[in-house]
Amino acid sequence: MSEEITITIDDQNIKARRGEKLLWVALDNDIYIPHLCAIKEEGRPNASCRLCFVEIEGLERPVTACTRKVEEGMVVNTRSPRIDRLVKTGFDLLLSDHNLNCRQCPANRNCALQVIAKKRKLKLKRDRFKPVDRKFALDDSPAEFAFDRSRCVLCGQCVWADRVEAEVGAIGFTKRGINRVVTTFNDLPLADSICTECKLCVEACPVGALYYKEDKKA
Amino acid sequence: MGKNDPQKIYENIREEARQQDQSRQDKPLVMVGTATCGLAAGAMQVKEDFIREIKNKDLNAEVIEVGCIGHCYAEPLAIIAKPGFPPVCYGNLDDGLVHRLVEDFLAGDDPSYEYAMAALERNDEFPTFEDFPRGVYEEKLILEHCGFTDFSRIDSYIARGGYSALAKSLSGEPDHVLAMIKEANLRGRGGAGFPAGTKWEACLNKSGDEKYVICNGDEGDPGAFMDRSVLESDPHLVIEGMILCAYAVGASQGYLYIRAEYPRAVEHVRHAIKQAGEKGLLGSSILGTGFSFDLEVFQGSGAFICGEATALVNSMEGKMGMPESRPPRLTDQGYRGKPTVLNNVKTFAYVPLIIERGPDWFKSIGTPERPGTAVFSLVGKINSTGLVEVPMGTTLRQLIEEVGDGLPEGCEFKAVQIGGPSGGCLPESSLDVPIDFDSLHEAGAIMGSGGLVVMDQEDCMVSVARYFLEFTQHESCGKCTFCRLGTKHMLDILTDITRGEGDLETLELLKELGEDVRDGSLCNLGRTAPNPVLTTLRYFYDEYKAHIEEGRCPALVCRDLILYYIKPSKCSKLCNVCVGSCPTEAIYTRDDGLKAIDQEKCVKCDNCRKACPTEYDAVLRLSPPVLPDEKERKAK
Amino acid sequence: MQLMEGEKEEILTCVKEVLGENSKTHENLVPILQQVQKRLGYLPALAMDEIAAGLKVPAVDIYGLATFYNQFRLNPPGKHEVKVCMGTACYMTGGDITMESFERRMDINEGETSPDRHYSLERVACVGCCTLAPVAVIDDKVEGKVTPTRVDGIMLTLEEGREETGINEEESGPEEGDGNG
Repeated sequence: MSEEITITIDDQNIKARRGEKLLWVALDNDIYIPHLCAIKEEGRPNASCRLCFVEIEGLERPVTACTRKVEEGMVVNTRSPRIDRLVKTGFDLLLSDHNLNCRQCPANRNCALQVIAKKRKLKLKRDRFKPVDRKFALDDSPAEFAFDRSRCVLCGQCVWADRVEAEVGAIGFTKRGINRVVTTFNDLPLADSICTECKLCVEACPVGALYYKEDKKA
Repeated sequence: MGKNDPQKIYENIREEARQQDQSRQDKPLVMVGTATCGLAAGAMQVKEDFIREIKNKDLNAEVIEVGCIGHCYAEPLAIIAKPGFPPVCYGNLDDGLVHRLVEDFLAGDDPSYEYAMAALERNDEFPTFEDFPRGVYEEKLILEHCGFTDFSRIDSYIARGGYSALAKSLSGEPDHVLAMIKEANLRGRGGAGFPAGTKWEACLNKSGDEKYVICNGDEGDPGAFMDRSVLESDPHLVIEGMILCAYAVGASQGYLYIRAEYPRAVEHVRHAIKQAGEKGLLGSSILGTGFSFDLEVFQGSGAFICGEATALVNSMEGKMGMPESRPPRLTDQGYRGKPTVLNNVKTFAYVPLIIERGPDWFKSIGTPERPGTAVFSLVGKINSTGLVEVPMGTTLRQLIEEVGDGLPEGCEFKAVQIGGPSGGCLPESSLDVPIDFDSLHEAGAIMGSGGLVVMDQEDCMVSVARYFLEFTQHESCGKCTFCRLGTKHMLDILTDITRGEGDLETLELLKELGEDVRDGSLCNLGRTAPNPVLTTLRYFYDEYKAHIEEGRCPALVCRDLILYYIKPSKCSKLCNVCVGSCPTEAIYTRDDGLKAIDQEKCVKCDNCRKACPTEYDAVLRLSPPVLPDEKERKAK
Repeated sequence: MQLMEGEKEEILTCVKEVLGENSKTHENLVPILQQVQKRLGYLPALAMDEIAAGLKVPAVDIYGLATFYNQFRLNPPGKHEVKVCMGTACYMTGGDITMESFERRMDINEGETSPDRHYSLERVACVGCCTLAPVAVIDDKVEGKVTPTRVDGIMLTLEEGREETGINEEESGPEEGDGNG
């Protein structure tokens, strides 16, 4: 085991192992930091959702907690006007590209976005940015689950489950920029792809983009 | 290490190259500039014309291709070197002029100075490029030989002393190379200005013998082409720089990453690598020493983001070119997870010069903290477009007014855009800012890779900001939230503004979002993407306001806010030019013979306005897009 | 897209040859895709699937690369490829007008190929010939100062050799697509 160190998060002294990532140290100690894309086992974090910003004393700019290794004596603040502003904008941006029809969502009350909104007192509606205009066809080809890309936040949890846990390789990221999407080879319906319908991806999805058909609300 | 004296081996190679070169100098040599820009201007035709005319006259002269001399405004260009005369450069060549030059100068002995641009060597008869006004300010280091040397022959490079820095360094210890680069305070020319010596040292200090040297030739900034020019015109300079770096940090493999859009650069560099290998300057046991280094070209596949270091490495590893969060730095964990030095084309090109002439020489150019030169591609509303190299610390005003020979007649300076999509637009009041990494940053722009676009009253700042945002949004890799969605919303807001939609709160939102994209994005593409917007908001706020409050585009550019109108009192019945120029048949002849535009059909392509003879100048653009009252419309 | 029997053979042979000439590592994916596209003109799904099998990587990752990089195309290009430069200098001198002129004359939009596969029209970020703006690349040959009138001239040469489609065939221009010398 690596050496034990002490850091300070929001004025609490916390014991951690050198080299651990700050995000997980905080979460393990019941200090909440918003996050969507972080995967504990992943060596080099994606750092793509840009919600886990914290301020570290001595550093000029807010940094992402998922990429920062803890160091002895590190002093961390999870809230500040700068962080709150960045998190709000990041969150609003994600909502601008997310189907906000929560009542019909299978993940209602069990959704990572709702958790973030509640913990950080953010509104679950679009007040600053217009919705990104696009249409996705629902893929309900698998027997027990479906994929509604209009809810996808591109966190990559499903791709990790498909690759690392299930070792299948049926889904992945394709395209670029605003068109980036999680899909199958040649955009085939999941049932026509090499997907084994193991459903680990459904378990991994934090927002109800991949969901069990039986949970679908009317 | 093996002590076959590299200097001695090199001297033999050089002597051979000199003789080769000498034998060419006995007869007249015509050097046609065939870099990409020359080709586009018709250089190949010029080359063929020379060959044909020389053959017709049965003359003993050789025609070769050279790269870009930076005077792009005068393409196609050629240099004629005839024994007994100074080499002379001619511009704007066509078949008639070629015929004349061959007849008068090659066959006769009249250099036709009336058609010449400049001589390349001091002489009593005709001025050189150094005598140009820009010559006073220009200081060519890495561009010195671009366009004056036969890029296809390594002998030309060696004969002028090329690879002697390598030979000299290989006789000594690797630390010496590093020490010189550090002492020279060479800062990376990719845009950010990170000290090259510090980077090299970090790589050197990592254990392990698998290390890589990569040259970033993924020059993607629209409006910048200096890396292309160096790679096409003087490839060995970059290669030698890379070998020296590899020697300094202990790498045995290197790659030149060149973007897909530069096929000619790829071709020239591959050829140069092959030649260097044949001379024993690349490959195993370079110049008989124990040092080995191989070099390969990796061709990009068209993604601007691959200019970002971690994205570039990902793309070389067969992945999507997505940036990673840093640390770890590439010098810790780069290509294949191994310590890697990645520098820009220009950075490597300085290295042989610094080794050859010494750090003190380098530091004598530019300013003490930022020695050396900066290379810019001057485009837009400026007389002498092309590539220029000036000492750091030259002011923007000197660069535009003296080196670039000012704006064309009738153009009034409004802004200068520096650093492409990551840079900013600076107004007149910033023109006395000296050119260096930090001063430009303070003013809100960045040095970037050196694209410099001069704009005048006919360029709309909102439209320009929108253009760059469209570029970065299109090139965003989509990995992180702020860049993927933030640039999209910024672009949508800007598009609304160019249509006259929005209010002052929209501008506030645009600014806030821009600041958050800058602070929240994962990599430098996203972090710098808002710069064109933030700088134009800062310096040209009134222009934004005119769009949304008055529905007016002051520069008459934004097409939703203008309309085309033919002023009856200026139009002539005798002229039909505009009717023929219109691609959509929107222009019709009125009963009285004057012309008018059917606004429903008009696509605002500007053809008619360009076509209308200057004696009439009857086609007007009106903003806001409101036609004059009926009385005026039906006049005359 | 439905493939003919002959096309299928051609694709399989091409992939086999390219895989034979390169070491089958993940690292070589981009060069392999470049070489396959160079020979076939595009990356058919079958080719991507074969490459995936040969390199033992998920096919969706190859698809990811092919859709990430501008250079790769999933559909066959037209006989004549026109790329309009949208670099800064070109934009400011009317690159968008040039693009629109081509769109109008070819009757297709940016990014499309004409139904008879005679033309494809694309935008490129910057070809680095800013001083000749606006620039277009016609079948790998860079053309400078491409004003709408110039577009008409270029179109005349490109129309040559086009199958009977009722579009003008009265003029004959210089040799088409002579490469970049």
